[in-house]
Amino acid sequence: MRWLKKNKAIGIAVLLLTISFFIYQYTFRPNESIEDISPNYSGNSIDFISLATTNFDSWNTKVVQLTGEITALDKNGFTLNNKLFCQFKHEDDSSDVKANQTITIKGRVIGYDDLLEELKLNECIQLK
Amino acid sequence: MEKIIVLTLLVISQVTSAQKYFTRTGVTEFKASVAAFEPVEASNKSTTVILKSDTGDIAAQSFINAFQFRVALMQEHFNENYMDSDTYPKATFRGKIQDFSLANINSGKKYPLKGMLTIRGKQKEINTTVSIQLKGDTIILKSEFKLNPNDFGIKIPSIVRKKIAKQINITLHYEMVEKK
Repeated sequence: MRWLKKNKAIGIAVLLLTISFFIYQYTFRPNESIEDISPNYSGNSIDFISLATTNFDSWNTKVVQLTGEITALDKNGFTLNNKLFCQFKHEDDSSDVKANQTITIKGRVIGYDDLLEELKLNECIQLK
Repeated sequence: MEKIIVLTLLVISQVTSAQKYFTRTGVTEFKASVAAFEPVEASNKSTTVILKSDTGDIAAQSFINAFQFRVALMQEHFNENYMDSDTYPKATFRGKIQDFSLANINSGKKYPLKGMLTIRGKQKEINTTVSIQLKGDTIILKSEFKLNPNDFGIKIPSIVRKKIAKQINITLHYEMVEKK
């Protein structure tokens, strides 16, 4: 304490630096990773589709965990039960999955695509 | 007679449906950065685009919440304060690529694109050019144009006005495959 009193200026500077460090950290924090977010819904993809049909927009930005069958697959993503498009979080994830496979995924609902009439998810990761 | 009509209709519908190209994962980016300040830019890698290759008709749709920023707080402000993405979850475009024909796509050829862009429920006519390339079975469409936030009722508070460019640069990169 005596040292701090003697070096008041240094003490204040250190305090200010610490505060500004935390403000900086808060302001420039990156987006939370999908792996760390606990899902708002967890279950079967067919049940989820019928639940979401009543109000698609209310699911926008929500993270969901779904189990379903892959009915179509390309390098950017796959379709679950013909009605739900999941875009891979990482572009090279397509090698881990196969068509007709039953899969459990976590992803973020971005909205109902009325051009293709399907619900769209991005940042999808496979849960094992 | 009826059978023939039904058959003809079936054949026609097959032919026309075979002439659509699409992507669900088109990249739409915007940059509103001002030199010396934190970059204001984001990328949406989930844009849906459908192109009718016989007519050049094009429709695109981007979810506002799928624009990803490097900084989480910026993304939050973008969605809540500027774009109001709860009320207006998507941006849509409907238009036509002029003089477009799949049969004579030349690499690097520019085509005029005209259409209506809707953001935050407000419409604005867009006139720009697109470059179109055919690479194997993929049609690659690229374009760049500028938007004015005022046209869409996007208010930028005076406190950050200096940090956000007056005109927003939009870049499109859509790789479309035939829709079966």
